[in-house]
Amino acid sequence: MLDILYGVLVGPLKDMAGSPAFLAEVVIGGLAAGLMYSLVALGFVLIYKASGVFNFAQGVMVLFAALTLVGLMERGAPLVLALLLTMAVMGALAFAIERVVLRPLVNQEQIILFMATIGLNFFLEGFGELVWGSNVKRLDVGIPDSSFMVWGVQVNRLELTAAITAAVLVAVMAVFFQRTRIGRALRAVADDHEAALSIGIPLNTIWIVVWSAAGLVAIVAGIMWGAKSGVQFSLSLIALKALPVLILGGFESVPGAIVGGLIIGVGEKLAEVYWGPLVGGAIENWFAYVLALAFLLVRPQGLFGERIIERV
Amino acid sequence: MREPTTPPPVASATPLLEVDEVSVRFGAIQALDRVSLEIGRGEIVAIIGPNGAGKTTLLNVISGFYHPTAGRIRFEGRDRTRLRPYDVAALGIARTFQNVALFKGMSVLDNIMTGRLLKMRGSFLWEALYWGPAMRQELAHREFVERIIDFLEIEAIRKAGAGTLPYGLQKRVELARALAAEPTLLLLDEPMAGMNVEEKEDMCRFILGVNDEFGTTIALIEHDMSVVMDISDRVIALDYGRKIADGRPDEVRADEGVIDAYLGVSHA
Repeated sequence: MLDILYGVLVGPLKDMAGSPAFLAEVVIGGLAAGLMYSLVALGFVLIYKASGVFNFAQGVMVLFAALTLVGLMERGAPLVLALLLTMAVMGALAFAIERVVLRPLVNQEQIILFMATIGLNFFLEGFGELVWGSNVKRLDVGIPDSSFMVWGVQVNRLELTAAITAAVLVAVMAVFFQRTRIGRALRAVADDHEAALSIGIPLNTIWIVVWSAAGLVAIVAGIMWGAKSGVQFSLSLIALKALPVLILGGFESVPGAIVGGLIIGVGEKLAEVYWGPLVGGAIENWFAYVLALAFLLVRPQGLFGERIIERV
Repeated sequence: MREPTTPPPVASATPLLEVDEVSVRFGAIQALDRVSLEIGRGEIVAIIGPNGAGKTTLLNVISGFYHPTAGRIRFEGRDRTRLRPYDVAALGIARTFQNVALFKGMSVLDNIMTGRLLKMRGSFLWEALYWGPAMRQELAHREFVERIIDFLEIEAIRKAGAGTLPYGLQKRVELARALAAEPTLLLLDEPMAGMNVEEKEDMCRFILGVNDEFGTTIALIEHDMSVVMDISDRVIALDYGRKIADGRPDEVRADEGVIDAYLGVSHA
């Protein structure tokens, strides 16, 4: 009994203290992975804020963006051109989604919009494979997947670039949507479609803006994850990793998505390395969900979510 | 308080709003049947009628939420039959809803500020930095909103969450948000429903005050006949989607068709 307590409470901490450089590496790796989760979660938050809908298709949008980019490069387009074209494609996609899916369903229940995004998910998955093929593709953006040393700590170039890009993108989005009048319009649209229309907010424009932004986020996430593990179907599954991030951070909070992502990223790496061996490893895959479950019990609205006030 | 941006036209010129032979049909239901009416500048017009008479449909058609199946609508002399709600808002028509459509997750102040969105201009970059012209603009809008808050006597609740307020106050905040847009025409869908006598008196005072001080033209749907008689310049009565009376309050009250519609007549 004591052995178990020692193994859970004391042993891992002793290991951490024993090798600070290794601990730093683990934490850095966790932060890098965490920022990538944040990036995916941000896509969810943007759409949730503006349409009050949980976009089930966000993960597939990441896959679709990466597929489009790789597909264009395979056909000989240089990186920059392919990137611009992919952005145009995601913009067109946002436009089409507004026209075909959101506009006919205005003022419907959340659950109906949610179901619509499930449909969108399957459509995009099939459409992407139809156009670009379903084999695993390599994405080379010219950044080597190698490491260098800083103060005795290994840092991966690709992860570092991804982290910086994600941080910049997240910061820009956060400022844009929190501080400009679009931010206030967004919150209004998410709260009540009808009322938003009556005060002159062009619902359709707002939706196109937001879905385009989510598309842009999907491109960046797609490039970063794709460069690391290849562009393949499993890319769409990182959306599942965004779920615990959202539960932790709160569905409508941009800072929440960032902090939640970092906590999950660092948490699962630490858990894997230090506590994993106790149960034979592979904690990383489910640790985030257990953390999210625990969080749901204590603070269901998330760290930064709007407080749920029920008038009785 | 409000500086008119264009000189008011001669009184005899075109009415502010013209509804011309407008019909709305939902499947088998004829919600509005060739309704024609005019609303002049500065008027307070009450729209009355039994439940299902088409009053809210009429308001929805004017504010662009529904489009008429037939007929035309002109605002300030220009045809705008098929405009969408946000275009209508940009023209200067604001409205409130029968079942209070506030942004429940936002504070009272933020709710009213959203009413100013159409008035905000300028660069997003400045706004993002909250610096220079953007900050001055935000402050100017804040000042205007504070004046409306004073006017409607809701200073004490400006930081409260809109969803936590009692119903009567929510209706008042909704009115404040509509006023924040500085509308030319204000459409109120049952502004006094579910209020007690005291709240109703307050609301009457505010409606008359808005009309007086801002020169806002007001069309409202109301069931309480004593309120209608007190505040309106003109009353329009609807029944089964048709207009059955249009005139001074005392005329309409005495109208036989209106009495029949309300009390019911046996057509045996």
